[in-house]
Order: sequence, then C-alpha cells, then structure tokens
Amino acid sequence: MPTRTDTGHEPLIRISSLVKTYDSGEVPFTALKGVDLIVQPGEFVGLIGKSGSGKTTLINMITGIDRPTSGEVVISGTPVHALSENKLAVWRGRTIGVVFQFFQLLPTLTVVENVMLPMDFCNVHLARERETYALALLEQVEMADQAYKLPSALSGGQQQRVAIARALANDPPILAADEPTGNLDSVTAESVFALFEKLVAGGKTIVMVTHDNDIAARVARALHVRDGEIVDDIRREK
Amino acid sequence: MAVGLPPRWRKVLRDLLTHKLRTLLVVLSIAVGIFAILVVMGGRGILLRTFGDNFPKSNPSTGILYTSGFDASVLERVRLFPGVRDADGRRLVTLTYRVGDVISLPEPPVQETQAVRSKAIELMSSADWTTSRLELVFPQNGAPWPPPRGGVVLEVSDTQIASLAVGDLITVDAPGGGKKLLRVAGFAHDINSFPAMFVGHIRGYVSADTMADLGAPKAMSELLVSLDTTGLDRAGASRIISKIRDDVVAPTGVDVLATYVPDIGSHRLGDIFKAVSVLLLALGVLALILSGFLVVNTVTALLTQQMKQLGIMKAVGGTSWQITRMYLVLVAIYGALAICIGLPAGAFMASWFAVFAGGLLNFGPGSTSPPLSAIELAVAVGFVVPLVAAYVPVHAGTRVSVVEALNSTGMSGAHFGHGRVDRLLGTIRGLPRPVALALRNTFLRKGRLAMTLATLVLAAAVVMSVGSVRASILATVTDMSSWWHYDEQITFAQPVNARLAAREAAKVSGVSGSEGWIVAAASLRRGDGTENDALSVIGLPPATTFITPQITQGRWLVPGDTGVVVNTDVVKSENLSVGDSVSLKVRGVDCTFKIVGVARGQMMGPVFFAEVTKLDSLLSFQGSITRLMVRSDSHAAADQDATGDRLERRFSGLGLLVSGVQGQARQSESFANQLGILVTFLIIMAVILATVGVIGLVGTMIINVLESTREIGVMRAVGASHASIFRVFVTEGFVIGVLSWAGGVVLSFPMSWALVQLLQSAIGVPLTYAFSWQVVALWLVVVSAISAAASLLPAYRASQVSVRDAIAYE
Repeated sequence: MPTRTDTGHEPLIRISSLVKTYDSGEVPFTALKGVDLIVQPGEFVGLIGKSGSGKTTLINMITGIDRPTSGEVVISGTPVHALSENKLAVWRGRTIGVVFQFFQLLPTLTVVENVMLPMDFCNVHLARERETYALALLEQVEMADQAYKLPSALSGGQQQRVAIARALANDPPILAADEPTGNLDSVTAESVFALFEKLVAGGKTIVMVTHDNDIAARVARALHVRDGEIVDDIRREK
Repeated sequence: MAVGLPPRWRKVLRDLLTHKLRTLLVVLSIAVGIFAILVVMGGRGILLRTFGDNFPKSNPSTGILYTSGFDASVLERVRLFPGVRDADGRRLVTLTYRVGDVISLPEPPVQETQAVRSKAIELMSSADWTTSRLELVFPQNGAPWPPPRGGVVLEVSDTQIASLAVGDLITVDAPGGGKKLLRVAGFAHDINSFPAMFVGHIRGYVSADTMADLGAPKAMSELLVSLDTTGLDRAGASRIISKIRDDVVAPTGVDVLATYVPDIGSHRLGDIFKAVSVLLLALGVLALILSGFLVVNTVTALLTQQMKQLGIMKAVGGTSWQITRMYLVLVAIYGALAICIGLPAGAFMASWFAVFAGGLLNFGPGSTSPPLSAIELAVAVGFVVPLVAAYVPVHAGTRVSVVEALNSTGMSGAHFGHGRVDRLLGTIRGLPRPVALALRNTFLRKGRLAMTLATLVLAAAVVMSVGSVRASILATVTDMSSWWHYDEQITFAQPVNARLAAREAAKVSGVSGSEGWIVAAASLRRGDGTENDALSVIGLPPATTFITPQITQGRWLVPGDTGVVVNTDVVKSENLSVGDSVSLKVRGVDCTFKIVGVARGQMMGPVFFAEVTKLDSLLSFQGSITRLMVRSDSHAAADQDATGDRLERRFSGLGLLVSGVQGQARQSESFANQLGILVTFLIIMAVILATVGVIGLVGTMIINVLESTREIGVMRAVGASHASIFRVFVTEGFVIGVLSWAGGVVLSFPMSWALVQLLQSAIGVPLTYAFSWQVVALWLVVVSAISAAASLLPAYRASQVSVRDAIAYE
C-alpha cells in the first residue's frame, strides 16, 4: 500500500516503483515488485516480514549497498540509484549508518579503531580528535570500557553495540539496520532496541528490518513486507 | 602500533602481522620468483660480464698458423703485413707425464695406481713471456712469471682433472728423448686455452730455456696473428691469413700445416658458451613467466579472501581509491619483504652459480655481483607484478555493490552446478562422499583453479623439459659411443711406418688388433677465394671395423676410392652435397676430391674421410700413419688405460714419440664431460625452477585450505570427523597436483623439443632427441607427495578450530 506525503516539501526518503530482480539462479527471481515508500525525518520505521519477503533487499536499496533493477531511491534529494559505486560510498559514509545482522566489524582493528574508520574514510573531524569522538560514541552505547579490545574478544551483543557506534561515527541523519537483534538474546536485544529509541528521540531517522513480532509492535511505523510488496503500513500513536 | 596512524593504515599493518602464516606464504612466493629470476638472469649476466672483461684483456688473436717452426724474423715480416695489428709466436708440444718423480723408479708393475698413470700435458713456451703480445696469460696468486727454469706454471683449469699443487713434481717424456722432471711453480689463467675438462689433458707454461732443456726445437710452432678487425668478417680475416701464409710465411721456407680462423671476437668455447647462454636466457624467460604466474596467483588468492572486508569498508564510506590504495600498500609491503629475502638469496646463488660455471668454462676471475639489469628485473617482478596483480581484483571489487562483495566469500558455491564441467562432475557416481566433495571443491573456484593450474603446469613442463634436454644430451653421447669400436688410439707426433707400428702394437699384451690411420688438419678453398681451416681429413681403410659410419646420403668409401665422404658438419658449414668437387690443402699439399657420400657427424667437427692409400700417395707418406687405432681384449676403462700405457711405453722405447693416448671409455667420458657442463647447468636450473614450482604448490594448497575454513566448520557441524575432513583436502590437493602434472606432460613435449632445437643450433651439433619419462615419473611422485602434504598441515589446523570460530572465520 503506497504512502504519500501530506506536506509539500521533499521527504527524507522517497522510493518509487522500485523493482529488483535476481537472475543468478536458473529462474530469475523478483525480490521487489514495484515498491513505493516515503519516510519523513525522525521516523522509526520497522520493515517486517518473513524470510524471503524482500525486506532485506528493500533496506539494501535504501543504503545503496545493492542496486535496483528499476525505479528510484531518492534520499535527502540525492538520487541514490544513479550514483556510481565510488560516489555512493562517500555519500553513504556521511548520510547513512549501516548496521548488519552479523555485525561485520573488521577483525584486525580494535573496537575504537573500528568506530574511527568511517571518520577516517570520510575525513570527518580532525585526525587527532577522532579517538575522542569515537570514545564518546562508545560511551553512548556503553562500550567505552572495551574500546581497546579486538572484536573477537567481545560477545555478539557487545559487537552489535560497537557496530551501532560505528554506524553513528559520522553523525549521519539516517541509521539503517538489518536484523540488528536477530543474533542476540532477548535481554541484549531489548537494550539495543532501547538504544535505537534513544537515538530516534535525539532526532535520528531509523529504518530497521526485523522478523521479531515483539519488536515490530514497538516501532512507531511498521511496514509489513510480503512477496516483494509493502502490504501494510501501520503507524502507532505515541 | 603507531599512535596517530589512521585506522585504515593500522588495518593494513595488522593484516600483515596477524595473519603470519599467510604473510609468510605470500612473501615466500614472491621471494621465490625474485630468487629464480636473479639466479638465472643474474648468473648469466655475471658470466657474460666476466667473459666480456677478461677475453679482450687477453688480447686474443684473430687467426693462428700452425707451422713446422719459425723464428723472430718471420714474426717481424708478418707484423709489417697490411691489416696486421700484431703477431706473436709460441712453441707448443704435447707430452705424456706422470705425477711425481718416476725417473728413479723401476718399471711400474702391471697393476698401476691412478697416481702414476701417464696423462697428456701440453707445454707452451714463448721466446719471452714478459713481452708476449697476444693471448696473454695471467699468473694467479703470485705465481712466478715468467715461469722459472725447470718449473712449469699450470693453467688454473688443470685442477679440474688433475690434483696438482704448487711444489709438486711431474715427470715428462721429453721430446728430445728420456724423462725430465718439472716442478709446479704456480698457476696462471689463460682464457684462450680450452679448459682441461673439455680436452682431457692439462696445459702448462714453461720458459724457452726449459723447453730447450727438454730437447724441443727452439723455433716457434704457432704463429698468432691479430688483425685490424674494424669492418672485417670471418671470411675477410680468412683471406688475409691465407695471404700471410702464401705471401709471407711460405716464401721463408716455413711449412704451414694448418690455419685456424674463428668467428671474429669469438672464444674457443664460444659454441658451448653460446649454448649455455641461450639455455639460461630461455630458462630465465620461463622463470620470469613462472614467477609472474606465481605472484599473480598468490596475490589474487589473498584478495579473494579480503573481498568481504572490502565490502564492509565500502559500506562505512570508504571510496574506491582509498580502499585500492590500502591494498596496494599492503601488497607493496609484501613485495618489499619478499625483495629483502629474495634479493640477497638470489644474488648469493647467482654468484655461486657464476663462479661454478665460470670455473668450468675457465672464464677467470671477476666481480660476482649480479648486473644491475638483473636486479632491476627481479625488483620489478617483486614490486610491479604483485601491484598489477592486486590492482585488478581490488579495482573489480570496488566496482561491485557492497552486497556482492559481502557475499563473495564464505560458502562460495552459489554458482556451482551451472557449468559443463560441474554437471560432468555431478554425473560421476559411486565415489566416496569425501572424494566427490573434494573433486567438486577443486572446481568450485574455477578462476583460481585456472591460475593455480597454469602456474603448476608451467613449473612441471619446465622441469620435465629440462629433464628431456638432459636425456637428449645423454642419448647423443650414447649414440656417439656406438659409432666408435676401438679401445685405444695412439697419436704419433711424427708420421711412423704403418707396418712397424702394427707389428710393435701386436707385441703388447692385451692387444688383439690394430689399424693405421692418417689424420691431418685441412683447409677448404672456397670458390670466392676464402678458406675454411677448421677441417680435418681422416685416411682409413674403407673396410674399417673401428667405426660404424651412418651414411645419410650417397655411399661409404670403397677400396681404391678417389672420392671422399664428408660428415654432416661439413655439409652444414659449407653447403656441399654428393657429387660436388672440393679443393683441400692438407699438410701444404693441394688435393681435389669428389664427394661420394655424407655420414652423420659425431661431435668431431667437420671431417673428410678418404681412402688411406689414396691419401698416403697424395701426401707422399710412403706407408706412414699418424694414428694407430687399437682393439684390445678388455673394454673396461681401467684396462684400456693400462693397455694404452703399455703401448705408449713400447713406442717411446723405440724412439717413436707419442703425443696422445686415449682409451675409448675416456674419450666418451670427455665427450660426456663437454656436454656434461650443459647437463650440470640444466640440473641446477631444474632444481631452482622445481623449487619455485613446489613452493608455489605448497602456497596454493595452504591458501586453498585457509579459504575453506568456513566449509570445514560447516562439515564439522554436520558431523564430519577429522579423518574425513583430511581426506577431502588431501584429495583436493592431490587432484590439483595430478592435473598440473598431466598438463605439464602435454606442454613439455613441444617445450623440450624447442629447447633441444635451440641447444643444437647454438652448439652446432645435431642432438638425438629423447623424452625423459623418468623425470615425468619423478615429478608425479614429487607433486603428489607435496600437494597432499601441503594440504595436510592447514587442514589439520583448520580441523582444530571450533565450529563457531570456523564459521566466523574472516
């Protein structure tokens, strides 16, 4: 069910007629079948659906880590679908913080270095100040005391907190998270979700993929995805 | 870790330090490439440079006239001849010698020891060694120069075949009769003499006084001429030398027995050296290609592993150029480390090789550091090749979407099952499950497999080809031996009566038959007035049983024949064929012959075979011969030597001066030695290239298994035992090893054939091509053992990792 904007000005995320077809298998598979979506600044959006519904594909289109077959993804006025891989990387580094289901920390960098890496790539903050900023972010996710350990020394929940701190490194307006709690126990998942709520309250826009119905029930806006289409758009009043 | 270093550079450093095994493998692979190139190209460069320095320094002659004897006045006239830059004279006598003082000893018993067996020594004297002008001899390690009276300065290469030291005594059979003692005064280097190992006799330098003491004629025998060679070719030089002979030397009453004009600026061992050089160059190019493949393969494997991290870095904002630069720096560090190992090791080995080869070829002393060009090439391979090899996958990796990059490692079988090969593998039924898995795993990463196989196939083919070149050389030697059927050949310093020689030989115990030959140097007069002086004529009975000539064209000699049979070497250098008439000058006599047949050459240079009685009448020999071919009861080398000694003593006792005694086994040995130098070089090169191949194989296997850590985790999770995981990887290694071996066998056919062609055109001797199945079998054993062993270690390591860690392996 397409959602339109009521106001006249440009939304934060505007997706129109988005199609993604994979043809790596014997029979081409259409993961997204013409999705339209608008997200306003400060929203906490949950993409909810079963495995294979197309929710991960949709978030990958928003972060630009995968390419649409057709249709448009415009974020803060930037046509993401039209950027080169190189421009995409720079744009993503400053605009969207990405949180993966499997954390994806670089194994040979310490926790604080992993958080500093996006600042380094995007040349955000002065080089000598980056560590201070990174430690502050780790403080925010309650990981400052583990700052100089390697990821392999941390639990899954701890790694995910570091990944969230890394996603926030360049202070991007949007946070995109693919099953951020999927690999965590319920207590840890709860604390990660609480962290997200705090970030939204601080003005961030969050798009999160989940198949956890408990979590789904708590996001401000739940988009239900099935067979490559958004079949339900539920807003929860605060 | 350096404080203040940006995180991405810290990652580069930590990747190097954390994955020590991987770093070691990559560095070692690149280092081996650098090493191989430096040894082959550097060794060749050192040899070329040493030769290039020492040969001109010796002031080589352009041509030599071998005469009956001349004095200083002839030399002065030659020096005034137009086009002559300088001339010099030498006296050369070939004698037999025994080690130690045997004058006072009684006649040695029949069972002689090796130490007192007689051998040949060439003694050379100059009117005054201190003022000699051409083919200079350089005393080594403070040897007295000129050689003192009663002393002999030996050529440094003599130690190749004789264990003589300063102060040792030798007893020579003096040309003037009787035995004389000479003391070894020191050693000298003469780049213009054949190394002892090639000719089978030693060379010594004595003063004119010593020569006179030995009873040799005072006159000089060899006239060395140096021409002004600007714009002069061999034919031109030959024309001038002939004019000198006819217009200057002959009118003084001096007989010129032969002349020798080599290619301008070429060394006497030019052909062998050219062969060595060409072989080294060919192997150097192969080593370069092999190293290139090895480096590309290793770097590609490394970056395949890094694809996922590359994707993560892109996801957090890393640009193509930032990421590309990181990996280029990483690879440059690998290259730098490899250069630190490969360069000194390669330089050391190159100088060892050059000293060894230079010693065999007797090129003399010189700097043993590899030339800059070889070092530059090695550094380029260590730096540039890995960088280019890294740039391709990194560049491709930064072009694909993050999702593709993230999915590119781990369970990478998403595309398996679509290709023809995969489906074919799928149809193979009845294999044990681990074997089937290993087979399919092998083909999982086809690009990688292709690279790995290309490297290993090339290594296998090079090793097998080198083996076949060696086999061809040995086959040629065997062929040559089957040509000859004598046991001893006795060369006389002066012609001797054939009947007398045969009668006396028959009295020596062990001798069962003999045949007299006339052997003489000859020069061919070409239509254009130039001469080919590097020929010899052999006069022999047509029904000889001492050789088995293989006739390739025409017929062999018949009794009373007025024609000649030439060998293939003549045909090749002079473009002659059956039916042509040739004009030869033999011992100063002009003779004309018609060619009636062509026989295969047997490494004896260009030879004309004539009927012995015909040659006798042309040269007015009156029943004399210069060589006696002898057959004896035993064909063993030691028995041939002993019989040869008895023959020599008998003839010497009769006052018939013997200038050479050779047993057939020793002659084959000498042929084998000449080609043996090539064989030795080939074996050294094969070992080096095989090492490159083996290290490449080990590296590839280890990287393959490391890449499969995640698969190992999955297999363990579904209940695979250690043993079955071992079996999967060992089988995989074995399959790759055997595939590369099979490919190598196929490729080695054309490669070895080409190398043999290259070699025979370089040395000018037709080689009998032989394919070495021994090396093929040997390589199969090596490759199976290594590939299985190389898979075992990392598979063991991987199987010790917990399932969780294996699955999470980056």
